[in-house]
Amino acid sequence: MNLTHCIPMVDTYFAQLNSKLSDLPVERRQDFLRELRAHVLDRLEQVTAPSVDDCRSVLKALGTPDEIARQYRMEMILRTSSWRLSPFKVLRTTLRWTVAGVQGYLVFVVALIGYILSASFYICALLKPFFPKNVGFFVSDAGINFAQFPVQYGQEYLPNYFIPICIVMGYLATFGTTLLIRFLVRHLSQLRKKI
Amino acid sequence: MLKSTPKLESTEKWEAQIRKGCLDLVILASLWKTRLYGLEILRVLEQNSRLVVAEGTVYPILSRLKEEGLLQSEWVEAEAGHPRKYYWLTAAGRLKIVSMAHFWKGFAASLNQLLVPVLNGKDDKGEPS
Repeated sequence: MNLTHCIPMVDTYFAQLNSKLSDLPVERRQDFLRELRAHVLDRLEQVTAPSVDDCRSVLKALGTPDEIARQYRMEMILRTSSWRLSPFKVLRTTLRWTVAGVQGYLVFVVALIGYILSASFYICALLKPFFPKNVGFFVSDAGINFAQFPVQYGQEYLPNYFIPICIVMGYLATFGTTLLIRFLVRHLSQLRKKI
Repeated sequence: MLKSTPKLESTEKWEAQIRKGCLDLVILASLWKTRLYGLEILRVLEQNSRLVVAEGTVYPILSRLKEEGLLQSEWVEAEAGHPRKYYWLTAAGRLKIVSMAHFWKGFAASLNQLLVPVLNGKDDKGEPS
């Protein structure tokens, strides 16, 4: 099979697709691209002497790099195990979506606030053993406070349960933020069109 | 050339949504008897279910189904020269497709029952509409 006419067009196509999926792990990206390239070769094998138009038709039937990259991201978001995604991966992905407009920016801000909140709970749990009198659930006239240096004011409540409560709250905040991001991505139509 | 009306366009969109919603079911079902690679799966979709989709659509779905543990895959060096990625159902995938198939059977039966008067062209009084 002579693909001399097709190779530059195919290489350009996959270079574009590779660029669209550049934030994916290298191994996963290369495997995906390899599979699509095999598909293109299978299609071209059905033609005795594929011309440039044949190559163009095969790539058109496959879909544009934008469409494939968007579909791939959507499928990875929708997979049932996606709630196990690392907060760092989710934040990095949502940061890319800020270029998709106001909705993308909103999703990023929600993710940032949610994960900062969960990190705060974990940090409080971590600091409590080292600063027992400065870190905790304190209620005073000024309001509720979790940490204050050098001196803490107010009365502390639930001192013995503060660490496990913070760990649970941190986990719930992480889990809830990830679920909320998934929900927003599914229902924000403008964002779905652009990612 | 027949100009597409808004009603025709909305029907086409609905049909596209229905086809899209069935893709998981059809892809898993296509792998029930044997292992296939991507292009073979597309041929099964076209021949057995009249599901015509953008060819690039199938591969992200296959990746997701594999991530969910429903499919397994391996690269096989083909006689044609370039390797092909073959997929097959895992045990979890077999359980899943059986469950989906039973749901579809019941759902389709209920829907068919509902649509009998529509297809027969009669209203709720039994009069021709």
